[in-house]
Amino acid sequence: MILLGKVALGIAGTALAGVGLVCSEGMIEVNVVEKQPEAHHVYVLAPAMLVPIGTHFIPKHKLGQAAAEIQPWLPTIRAALEQLRAGEDITLVDVREPGQHVRVTKDGGSVVADVTDEDETVHVSTPIRAIESTIEQVAAASPDTHD
Amino acid sequence: MLKAMRAIGVCCVLALTMSNLGVTAMAAPATERYLHVKVDDATKGESVNVNLPLSMAAAILPTVNKGTLHNGHVTIGEADFNGVDVRALLDAIRTAPDNEFVTVKQKDQDVRVAKSNGNLIVHVLDKSKDGQKVDVTIPMKVVDALFSTVKDNELDVAAAIRALSDAGDAVLVTVQDATEHVRIWIDSRSASD
Repeated sequence: MILLGKVALGIAGTALAGVGLVCSEGMIEVNVVEKQPEAHHVYVLAPAMLVPIGTHFIPKHKLGQAAAEIQPWLPTIRAALEQLRAGEDITLVDVREPGQHVRVTKDGGSVVADVTDEDETVHVSTPIRAIESTIEQVAAASPDTHD
Repeated sequence: MLKAMRAIGVCCVLALTMSNLGVTAMAAPATERYLHVKVDDATKGESVNVNLPLSMAAAILPTVNKGTLHNGHVTIGEADFNGVDVRALLDAIRTAPDNEFVTVKQKDQDVRVAKSNGNLIVHVLDKSKDGQKVDVTIPMKVVDALFSTVKDNELDVAAAIRALSDAGDAVLVTVQDATEHVRIWIDSRSASD
């Protein structure tokens, strides 16, 4: 009985550690609400770590162009994200026009984009660490990169 | 054995707490300064607000190497200065007392360049474009930093940003015409309102 308990505890502990690891970079949240009569509502909450992991499995030759374009800007992106992560919460951009409102903010450890127009509202929240990891993964696919 | 495990656990918690406190204390930033850009178009009901921490701008600029911008310096061709020795001109302005240096009044346009309270002030009134009014106020320290490079054909934008960080709250640019209002300013508030 004790042995069974230890095994169960081991499995539960491993599962908890796995969940903790997967969620360690935070969660990506996507919320799309249509304002049409037949309104659709899409809500996705996924571990941010899945994005860089998923990027890792994309064939390098398919990321070649994106990687080549990102490579020269990598120091700039790194500096920007580092400063963004270290800084306090801020509304970076806020654009309003009749029927439309776009807002990009830094909220906690995430970059949040909110778009509201006459047809739908879109909310996307992405952890900065996940953005960093994904960009590093894409840049690593560049033919110029030597590991 | 149990006591030893407890003692190790307590030590680990204490060490983590102390290290977190240390990191927090080291990371405590000086008062952050923000560059704000606000564009309002009353007739179209449009508005654009951009808020940028100056520390971010200072960190990003040296990393950009594209076109005329390299390591926080902008290269300017001789043609852009039209043969004018800008450094000598600025030196003359710096050492001069507060004064109005240029006043041009034309049928369509008024231009005024002055130095006042340590600021370089440029005022342009364009009577032909719905009375467009442009006011630029740049602290002389920022102008000095801009021209602090060794090379004559370069502007040190990164140094200017750093100088802006040390300057007080200031409205740098305002542009007002019949429909649009543009305002660029720095302060220590992260929000523009």
